[in-house]
Amino acid sequence: MDISWNWLREYVDPGANPDSVVEQLTMSGLNHESTTAVGNDWCIDLEVTSNRPDCLGHLGIAREVAVLTDRPLRMPSVDLSRDDDREIEKYCQVTVEASHLCRRYTARLVRGVRVGPSPQWLAQRLKTIGIEPINNIVDISNYVMMECGQPLHTFDFAKLRGNRIVVREPKQGEQMVAINHQTYTFEPGMCVIADAERPVAIGGVMGGAETEISPSTRDVLIEAAWFVPGSIRGTARQLNLHSDSSFRFERGVDIEAVPWAGARCAQLIVELAGGELVPGQIDVKFGFPERHPIEFRFAGITRNLGIEIPRDIVVKILRGLGVEVLDHDRQRCRCLAPSWRRDLTREIDLVEEVGRIYGYDKVPDNVAVPMTSSYKPQGIRVLEKVRDVVRAAGFDEAMSPSLIPEAWSSACSPWTDRQPLVSQQPMLGVLEKGSQNLGPVQYLRRTLMASLLEAKRINEYRANDEIDLFEIAHVYLPQEQGLPLEPLMLGIVSGRSYVDVKGVIENVCREIDPAISLDFSPTDLMIFDQSHSATISADGKVVGYVGAISPGGKKTFGLRQPTTAAELDLTALSQRAVLIRRFSPLSEFPAVTRDLNFIVAEEVLWKQLEATVRVSSGALLESIQYRETFRDPNRDGPGKKRVLLSLTLRSRESTLSGAQVDDVCRSVIEACQSQVGASLVS
Amino acid sequence: MAPGNSSPLESFVRELDALLEAARQSFGSASSLQQVEEARVAFLGAKSGRFKAAQKQLGQIPADAKPTAGQHLNRVKNEIQAAFDAAKARFATESFRGEADPTFDRTLPGTTSRLGRLHPITQTINELMDIMGRLGFSPAYGPEVEDERHNFEALNIPADHPARDPLDNFYLSVASKRDGETRLLRSQTSTVQIRVMENRQPPIRVISLGRVYRPDTADPTHYPMFHQMEGLMVDEHVNLATLKTVLQLFATNYLGASVPVRIRPSFFPFTEPSVEADYFWNGKWTEFGGAGIIDPNVFKAVGYDTERYTGFAFGLGVERLCMIRHGIIDIRNLYTNDVRFLRQF
Repeated sequence: MDISWNWLREYVDPGANPDSVVEQLTMSGLNHESTTAVGNDWCIDLEVTSNRPDCLGHLGIAREVAVLTDRPLRMPSVDLSRDDDREIEKYCQVTVEASHLCRRYTARLVRGVRVGPSPQWLAQRLKTIGIEPINNIVDISNYVMMECGQPLHTFDFAKLRGNRIVVREPKQGEQMVAINHQTYTFEPGMCVIADAERPVAIGGVMGGAETEISPSTRDVLIEAAWFVPGSIRGTARQLNLHSDSSFRFERGVDIEAVPWAGARCAQLIVELAGGELVPGQIDVKFGFPERHPIEFRFAGITRNLGIEIPRDIVVKILRGLGVEVLDHDRQRCRCLAPSWRRDLTREIDLVEEVGRIYGYDKVPDNVAVPMTSSYKPQGIRVLEKVRDVVRAAGFDEAMSPSLIPEAWSSACSPWTDRQPLVSQQPMLGVLEKGSQNLGPVQYLRRTLMASLLEAKRINEYRANDEIDLFEIAHVYLPQEQGLPLEPLMLGIVSGRSYVDVKGVIENVCREIDPAISLDFSPTDLMIFDQSHSATISADGKVVGYVGAISPGGKKTFGLRQPTTAAELDLTALSQRAVLIRRFSPLSEFPAVTRDLNFIVAEEVLWKQLEATVRVSSGALLESIQYRETFRDPNRDGPGKKRVLLSLTLRSRESTLSGAQVDDVCRSVIEACQSQVGASLVS
Repeated sequence: MAPGNSSPLESFVRELDALLEAARQSFGSASSLQQVEEARVAFLGAKSGRFKAAQKQLGQIPADAKPTAGQHLNRVKNEIQAAFDAAKARFATESFRGEADPTFDRTLPGTTSRLGRLHPITQTINELMDIMGRLGFSPAYGPEVEDERHNFEALNIPADHPARDPLDNFYLSVASKRDGETRLLRSQTSTVQIRVMENRQPPIRVISLGRVYRPDTADPTHYPMFHQMEGLMVDEHVNLATLKTVLQLFATNYLGASVPVRIRPSFFPFTEPSVEADYFWNGKWTEFGGAGIIDPNVFKAVGYDTERYTGFAFGLGVERLCMIRHGIIDIRNLYTNDVRFLRQF
């Protein structure tokens, strides 16, 4: 809200310098944005919160200044004494059909005005706050709006057909050219101000061009009305037409002060443009909410603000703000909020008013707060461990938007077959060069991998080195009923191989649960290479996916370099977290390692060979290490491979003898022979 | 006696001097411990060393000259021994430390395994959680896809409130409403306040941290997704002074110095009084976030006794704190995931 310093001082005298007043206003709720010199005046921009429409006029701000600086407020005097005169009804009629959109409509008529330029002082004040003067009539209606916050409209009365105003909903396809010379088509639910035949204004938003004030205008009809805030907001949005008027109606103007604004406007027109006021006003009004007395216990101040404020100061502040203090004793008072403060309905509202004027700087910032212990939930402890492992493996943490384009959403959905959730609004401006033509970003992602593949593409395009990224975030899995599931995922993308990434995944899982046993089985996810990929499960439950990106997948995501992606369900894994590890006694005897080089059929998987070795090696086994796979069809025949592994054995009782080690190896070799058809390389 | 015919003593001395000279030469020029040892055997060897041979000639010296010759012999022996000791000392270090390799470049880069970096937002969140943890606030969580009750109604934001405008929120499309319920991506972490209070009785001291969503077009200072930290404290005797004290403690902790905090009136539907908190940093007041005393309507929505309990809530934008701290000027950098950016933190 821009205000003119000179104009403000017409209502209150806070001294010559705006700086200290502006500081006081900031600290009482009207945040100071800027002060700009305009001629011999200052334009002061104050931020008005949406609960304070009363401060969308100079008078409202002057009232704040008056109570803050303890100076009197000078209200302009307006004569409302002849409002009941019915003379005006001889000239025109007002019908409000749409009382659900317009709760009050007043009209006044000034006849025989001379349209011309505004006097210098008025034009200057409007210019200070950025409003271009047009002619004295339009300027006066703007001036009164900026004075008291009530928007007004003036019609060239001669052009109103049938000498009447009808407030109604639009007829099918009704159109109007507004004073900005744009044509608008009314939609159902909008408020039309019409004459006997056609729309003459978009109620509360903008007037029509055909009935606007022109140099030849003689008689002026002044509209002062009250439109329902939600309807004005909707209309302004739908028409993409926002005006000073709609801004104020959206926030709610003082319905009880509507006649005051109309009278003030008429008075200034007569004063500055001549003419004669037709006695009386037309005032069509429907019930508006009554103001009820508020019970205000003084103890509420200390209870909420933590300070004591003397009772006489409390009462003085309330009265300064226009609150009627009906009666009061030592404990409490009964108050009636002013008509322009519809936001004040409860004790707590008055506590805030008193507090903000008294000054929050008087609230201490060093009171005793009882001590209490906090706890770190298991989920966070698990995340800390996971981040440590992935970071140590050389992965940088990424963060990407939760919404993605349709192309990525449909390219990969490992966790659900249900359609993704879609937001009505897309995210704008979040796609990088090369992806900007992918369509609206409005699909709630069901996997992190798509976003990470895009991140890799961007890094590839920028020729960055070692693109190893991870992200920890929720995905959104729709359910038949209720809110979607939002499991927390660890997503990974890397230029490293399947086995390298698998190693990282294994480390993460073992960090969470050292005893976890993971199974890697084939996956049919199209995004992954047919062979270099796996569904990861633990105890029969799927906990993740890992795989090299298939040629088709690379094309979908614009990737040029070899890429591996993975995703782990951290919510599922957290449930088996072992955060405190147990000691297991150590043998003090040395270990012995033996290499075994088996020839097996290609179909034999490492996991089968490993399980056979593990079971058959018995209690002395400490660990099994995979070394390498080697193929030599000339010596071993086709369809065979050599798998070299190392066995580490250790006893708890003694240093192992050669014979003991030989015994273990013999039983391992026999088991491998009989169970997986392995023969030892001789 | 004619010149050229030297006496046996003279010739003995001359030979000894030559021997000493030769020994010094050999020990001095030896370039390894091996050569020193070879020279020792050649000169001082007990069986066939050259000194041993010279010593044998002492017998041919006339008796009267013998004392002089003996003295000379001893001096030469001592000096050869000294030359040997010096040569040995020269190589003692080498024998201990191994031979020098002049081709080795000790400034070549070390072999490292690259350490990944945590996202600056994660680092900021961790620090915020840490500070608030010390003040007794425990983390709490809620879903990102919310219903209208938790995102609006229980927070005293009625149906006709502008904050619920479809253009200002990420409402899910009709096709996504399987059960007819309206849902949206939460626009604030205050939703978690409601979820906590629905399930627990005071005293409550929690923070909720996470992603929130508002349909702003991405530009250097806006992004349609960002992170908030929301603090909530409910108990008997909680008031604006408690809030101001906690914010002051937080600022002192986070900014690492005695930083003044001020509060000024503002407006939020779910707090009354509502305030904006600023801290004085680098010579100016900077907005910290919104805060206030919980509106009694919020307590009513979760069934708390408004006469018994009061509480405060505050919400801070994580991105802003992160960007100020690290000197990041374009918020979009946070979500582009360029590894060169991520590795800076």
